[in-house]
Amino acid sequence: MRYRLDLVLRPVEGALVRVIGMTERRGFAPRHISGGADAGDGRWRLQLVVDGSRPAETLKRQLQKVYDCESVEIAPLETGAQEAA
Amino acid sequence: MNATSPTAAAGLRNGAAWVAHALEAEGVDTIFGYPGGAIMPFYDALVDSGLRHILVRHEQGAALAANGYARASGKVGVCVATSGPGASNLVTGIADAMLDSVPMVCITGQVPTSLLGTDAFQELDVFGMTMPIVKHSFLVRKVDDLPQVLAEAFRLAREGRPGPVLIDLPKDVQVGPAAHLPAHVPAVVEREPAPADAALAEAIAAIAGAEKPVVYGGGGIALADAVDEFRQFVEASGIPTVLTLRGLGALPGNHPQFLGMLGMHGSRAANIAVQESDLLVVVGARFDDRATGKLAEFAPFARVIHLDADAYEISKLRTADIALPGDVRAGLRALAAAARSYSTNHAQSDWRQRCAKNRERHAARYDAPGQDIYAPALLKRVSELAPDAVVACDVGQHQMWVAQHCRFSHPRNHLTSGALGTMGFGLPAAMGAQFACPDRPVVMVSGDGSFMMNVQELVTVARCQLPIKMILLDNSSLGMVRQWQELFFDKRYSEIDLSDNPDFAALARVCGIPATAITQRGEVEDALAALLAAPGPGLLHVKIDARANVWPLVPPNTANSQMLESNPNEQKAESAHALPA
Repeated sequence: MRYRLDLVLRPVEGALVRVIGMTERRGFAPRHISGGADAGDGRWRLQLVVDGSRPAETLKRQLQKVYDCESVEIAPLETGAQEAA
Repeated sequence: MNATSPTAAAGLRNGAAWVAHALEAEGVDTIFGYPGGAIMPFYDALVDSGLRHILVRHEQGAALAANGYARASGKVGVCVATSGPGASNLVTGIADAMLDSVPMVCITGQVPTSLLGTDAFQELDVFGMTMPIVKHSFLVRKVDDLPQVLAEAFRLAREGRPGPVLIDLPKDVQVGPAAHLPAHVPAVVEREPAPADAALAEAIAAIAGAEKPVVYGGGGIALADAVDEFRQFVEASGIPTVLTLRGLGALPGNHPQFLGMLGMHGSRAANIAVQESDLLVVVGARFDDRATGKLAEFAPFARVIHLDADAYEISKLRTADIALPGDVRAGLRALAAAARSYSTNHAQSDWRQRCAKNRERHAARYDAPGQDIYAPALLKRVSELAPDAVVACDVGQHQMWVAQHCRFSHPRNHLTSGALGTMGFGLPAAMGAQFACPDRPVVMVSGDGSFMMNVQELVTVARCQLPIKMILLDNSSLGMVRQWQELFFDKRYSEIDLSDNPDFAALARVCGIPATAITQRGEVEDALAALLAAPGPGLLHVKIDARANVWPLVPPNTANSQMLESNPNEQKAESAHALPA
């Protein structure tokens, strides 16, 4: 399954590495990464597209435990194509 | 809590002194560490602080001693090391704390911020190295960040599911002026919210309606300080109970509802009950593979109620039919209160009797033939002679024998490296426990493989005259690896021979610790009595049969119903379902 993650991170050292590392360690392969620091509040808005066969909810809960991760949303992508296949 | 106003300046001369002050304000009294270049300002500050520093002989000993201190006391364990190799030597102890949810704050010195990223002498990116094995970490680049970092580090270490927090302190931060910083005030640690009422009601109905319920408790019970509530729930409900390795002690070992540890080296009664149950009430446990065996065949008939402080653990491996994320203590109180209203008239008596019968039928036997010292019998005797001792063990066969044959009155009395399986854990963990509980008997049980991994800490035990009673079970081999090679690798023994071990009793004596050695079964009683009665530290070197194995055993990736028998000459798998009632 392919998922899109929308993350908001504190603008602190290590935050990016933590969430990308967590995503990979928990069995999801990043396919696309984009984002940047918000000009207003300095927070990182990060979008990841990942592939993984594990339940996305487990990754969401794990990312919610990352101290520097203020919010995380996960949405499935290509569900129609997956089901058709 | 420090009585000083949070807005008042602490008046301390530099960052290092302020950190020492913050540790004291957090209630820390003992820290474990080893000095070196980049952490020297902190060690200088220790001279004027009220902290007791225990100088170990290897940084891994410091991390594992702090780990043992935290496990035995429930307080935050603190360890300190310098940058570079000092920091990397902490890594195993930090990882051990992460995997077993042990609250720790680990402080490392670092090269000055101006040299970060230049490959300076003893520069190591410990902040990056440890990211996967810490609950959180901080690289402090400004003195002014110290108050928030220290408060958050201790809060995070303690709150919810505990864990280790690393604070990397560059040298310029340690020596930077700090007189303007406020006095440290610990952050408030909040408990998780109670599980939702609707889910609790659903759980209560499921428990009341179950015919073959089993309570499956783990390390999260003690982490939530919920041992009393767990016992109240178990007793009010009357449900047969199994425990994980790290849950042992949540029910006393002789409790009539306790069926034993489940899993790979669990009791037959426990595994049979779980495999046959129609409802698992899982409390503070996480379906670890050593507990479940082949997950797809684990408890195949059971619905699952899962109560855990860490929402992530729920449905991670086994889908929960009723999820109870939240405060374990509050959840257990609600379940216990409900259980009191139906426990006397609930129709589970046949199941309880069947479980009790299996417990009796499959009770461990201690009448092994021969004159070799039978480790399970020796360990059972240790528990009888020192029932309230804190027992720290290492990793391997002896670790499983401790879990199977010692009796624990509380989980904090059983210090075992559960998830990481850290050989070398036992001796430093026992040191930490003895510092945390100076008036309690502390027993360390180790094997000849594990013991050598942190043997240098014998000198620390002697220096501090810690009255730890060390029992070294010596089979002159890496016993658990040998057992697996015997059973699963066609007896192709590979690199397990330790027959050239040193004379352990002599080694202990050289370090200043009285020691004796025994080889015959008839010597056990007097030797244990003498060891436990002696006032200071002592080591008992016990030669055991090198062929002894740990039984029962569920082979890896096999259903828990397929337990290998205890007779090594007639090993056979027996289906739990085939057993007569």
